[in-house]
Amino acid sequence: MDLKRSTNRVTSGRRPPIPVKIVIAGGFGVGKTTTVGAISDIRPLTTEAAMTCAASEIDRADDVSGKTMTTVALDFGCVTIDQDLKVYLFGTPGQDRFGFMWRDLAQGALGALVIVDARRIDDCYPAVDYFERVGLAFVVGINTFDGVLLRDLDDVRWALAIDDDVPLLAFDARDKCSVRDILLAVLRRSRDQVRRKSHEPVPAP
Amino acid sequence: MTEDATNPGRPRTPRLPPYIADRRDEPAEAAAADSQVSPLRPFVLTSGRAEPTNDTLEMEAQVETTEFGMRSYPHLAFERRDIVALCTTMMSVAEISAKLGLQIGVVRVLVTDLAAAEHLVICRPSSQLNQDADLIERVIRGFEAIH
Repeated sequence: MDLKRSTNRVTSGRRPPIPVKIVIAGGFGVGKTTTVGAISDIRPLTTEAAMTCAASEIDRADDVSGKTMTTVALDFGCVTIDQDLKVYLFGTPGQDRFGFMWRDLAQGALGALVIVDARRIDDCYPAVDYFERVGLAFVVGINTFDGVLLRDLDDVRWALAIDDDVPLLAFDARDKCSVRDILLAVLRRSRDQVRRKSHEPVPAP
Repeated sequence: MTEDATNPGRPRTPRLPPYIADRRDEPAEAAAADSQVSPLRPFVLTSGRAEPTNDTLEMEAQVETTEFGMRSYPHLAFERRDIVALCTTMMSVAEISAKLGLQIGVVRVLVTDLAAAEHLVICRPSSQLNQDADLIERVIRGFEAIH
């Protein structure tokens, strides 16, 4: 046993970075993977999680081609801030039946970006509800496909019934700087929420 | 812009259970891993257990092979061996899942086991990270530097 302990060093000898995460939720085809890919250091990777039986009733493979019946794909990427700090971006479907993953993802997350497709707003209701309930800082982003904003922002805010203080922003998922800016909005909201909680004054922007 | 659902140009294949279905939605880079998708049920890979000893192992937790794990490599089998070989480069639980084509739940179980046997070390994030305004500020400054 002594031998085992004395050799229990990691191969690289480096200190691991602190991993933090931001959740990116939204319906199918809304641009989650594009958003992750626009800013990630690595090409977005896909992992799979098992789905609950109840969900597999809904997610039949013949309805959504290329999907297996009882797993759900989770796309992710990462942004290395420095040697000691790494940000993971996890994209997750926004519909109710994928809610089983949100608890894991939201736990310890710095915040969330909910991407809305203005033509299918209801896809993101459950995610908005969930993040509100667990108190996770979130921002709603409308992906302007080809730079065209299909709905007035106020209409979307009204349809989503989100509080006036929840930022609602248009962004372009293909554009690195646009994705950076909306993630900065998520992070600033998260920071301000923490400061409010600890009764520190929030500095003027 | 398309993701998840749409995959035109690919023939529709018969419905298969996930543990033998191939992985159609993966980036091309991961295509090489196709042959590694195990035909075994996930429970077989985890010796019958559905839950890891610690079921909350975070997807972003960092995993790295120990020197002991490296030396034990020839005696390990299948997925455990693959994980120990892969994690000579430190990576997250999610990356292991993606690169080996294993479900995230399976990876959680195996990684927890391997760490208990000291083949791997796991660095888990504190659950209070999102209450640390200074840390968030550091991430903000990091993002501001992206151009």
